[in-house]
Amino acid sequence: MSETVIDVRDVHTTLGGNGIHGGLSLSVARGEVIALIGGSGTGKSVLLREIIGLLKPQSGHIELFGQSVCDSTPEQMNLLRRRFGVLFQDGALFSSLSVEDNVATPLFEHTDLPHPLCRQLARLKLAMAGLPADVGTKRPSELSGGMRKRVALARALVLDPELLFLDEPTSGLDPISARAFDKLIRLLADTLGLTVFLVTHDLDTLFSIIDRVIVLSDGCVLGSGTVAELKQLDDPWLNDYFAARTANGETVDGN
Amino acid sequence: MTAANAHFDAAQGALIASGDWHADAASALPRLEGKVVRILDGAAITQLDTNGAWLLLNAVRPQPSDPMPELRGFQPRHMSLLNLVAQHAATTAAQIEVPHPGLLAAIGRGSLAMWGHVSGLVNFIGQLTIELARLMGKPENWRWRELGAQVSTVFAGAIPIVIGMMFLLGVVFAYLLGDQALQYGASIFVVDGLLLAILREISPVIVAVLISGRTGAAITAQLGTMKVTEEIDAITTLGLSPLAVLVIPRMIALLIALPLLIFIGDIAGIAGGMLVAQVQLDISPNLFIDRMDSVLRLKTLLVGILKGPVFAVFIALIACRMGLSVSRDASSVGANTTSTVVQSLVAIIVLNAIFAVMFVRLGI
Repeated sequence: MSETVIDVRDVHTTLGGNGIHGGLSLSVARGEVIALIGGSGTGKSVLLREIIGLLKPQSGHIELFGQSVCDSTPEQMNLLRRRFGVLFQDGALFSSLSVEDNVATPLFEHTDLPHPLCRQLARLKLAMAGLPADVGTKRPSELSGGMRKRVALARALVLDPELLFLDEPTSGLDPISARAFDKLIRLLADTLGLTVFLVTHDLDTLFSIIDRVIVLSDGCVLGSGTVAELKQLDDPWLNDYFAARTANGETVDGN
Repeated sequence: MTAANAHFDAAQGALIASGDWHADAASALPRLEGKVVRILDGAAITQLDTNGAWLLLNAVRPQPSDPMPELRGFQPRHMSLLNLVAQHAATTAAQIEVPHPGLLAAIGRGSLAMWGHVSGLVNFIGQLTIELARLMGKPENWRWRELGAQVSTVFAGAIPIVIGMMFLLGVVFAYLLGDQALQYGASIFVVDGLLLAILREISPVIVAVLISGRTGAAITAQLGTMKVTEEIDAITTLGLSPLAVLVIPRMIALLIALPLLIFIGDIAGIAGGMLVAQVQLDISPNLFIDRMDSVLRLKTLLVGILKGPVFAVFIALIACRMGLSVSRDASSVGANTTSTVVQSLVAIIVLNAIFAVMFVRLGI
């Protein structure tokens, strides 16, 4: 097995008096495309925020690229942040900047490149994210939801990270845009050799582009494996989850 | 990690790159002006990402229409990256910087923006009048609870700052006036001057300025944020009028609060002046009130207080209109809040000047 990129060991989290994670452990190897699923309130987004260093767990250990996230100095953390990109749920684009400047901002801040060059690289990433050339000068508020997600993806990719975090990348998109976005993620993951860690509710994403699924339940990892492997587990929530798809008369493993 | 390096081999016409090529590697590129690169050699490149690939391609082929050089020695993984980047390279052509608009253009744009504010305000007044006429006969449609909540924040919340500010202004004004009057032995006239200045000019203008900064800005920020979060659309969809639900209660709250606050400011200013008269000029509070009783006319007090509703209407109109005209991004909430305060201040100063001229003409 190749090198471990994300390593979460025995994490306990309590937020506002509610226990969220009780001894959660998981690991992700380089090059994997991983989906994290689980019912509402099982702490998926909290775990994501802990892995990228926005929240601190009460106890436990989280490592990215073999470096601890919880005990890093701010300088070490900034170096680490250059190596991963994050796509937030609603894009989180800066509304006061143009699309192009939104994407170029990480380059402005983290490299010494002259600004016109940064903008050219930003346009390259916008094109790679499948956006037409004229969106660069627009404002985020002028774009549709699907386009905003693509801009956010371009921003997450602009520093060429090795690891990409996606928080519900296809939520709020119509099925056609959602599938196109899935394909784009897989294409970029394959050509750029990315490790992708995504939180999702979208069954179609699971069936189409994911190497391995991790299921959270009651603050722990319930199971991990391919969709076919997970279907062997006898868990009421998982059964209902997969039944939502099969009830429509579609084959579960046909894609 | 090996540092990126690149040099131009003139004999072969080749750019030979080595090391790790990331976004930071731009400074490693040699100057290539006037040289034709026929070969790009990447045999010694250890790491390559899309930013690095773009930098190399852009260096050997500044225009996407230029012929592609021969790519030599690249690893297959790097080769596919280069192809991916080359495929999208057409969109990254250097763009001509748009020159900054000149002074004339800036003046023109500013004038148009100002005209936009004025015509927008007139339009808003029209809509508001129609809405008010619709509400006139229906007291059950008035938002009494919202009105009460607004009055308590606009009025009660502002009392401490109004008292503090006007008391200090009364102290300063009486002190400066007393200093002059003392030289002529006319210290008792300090009371006349103080009353006239505080009641007629200082208290109305200062309180209005305070309220436009405190309440006007808050109204714009609140309505603007509601616009961004689509709450205003939700109100409209429920069949309610945002003007009736949000604007009219705020306007009436300001109409009630501002005259009352001006009156409180009058009292605080006079109290400040009385303190200075006692300490600096030996005018006892009894004597001060005696003099006040003989020189103060109701008209002076009323002129000041009746400026209040006029200022209030303008502050409310400007603040609500700017709040509702926020576009759906965070920066426009900030810009409109700033604009509210500036417009309100201008309106207060201009209105006050109009009042001064009008009162002189009318002999009040």
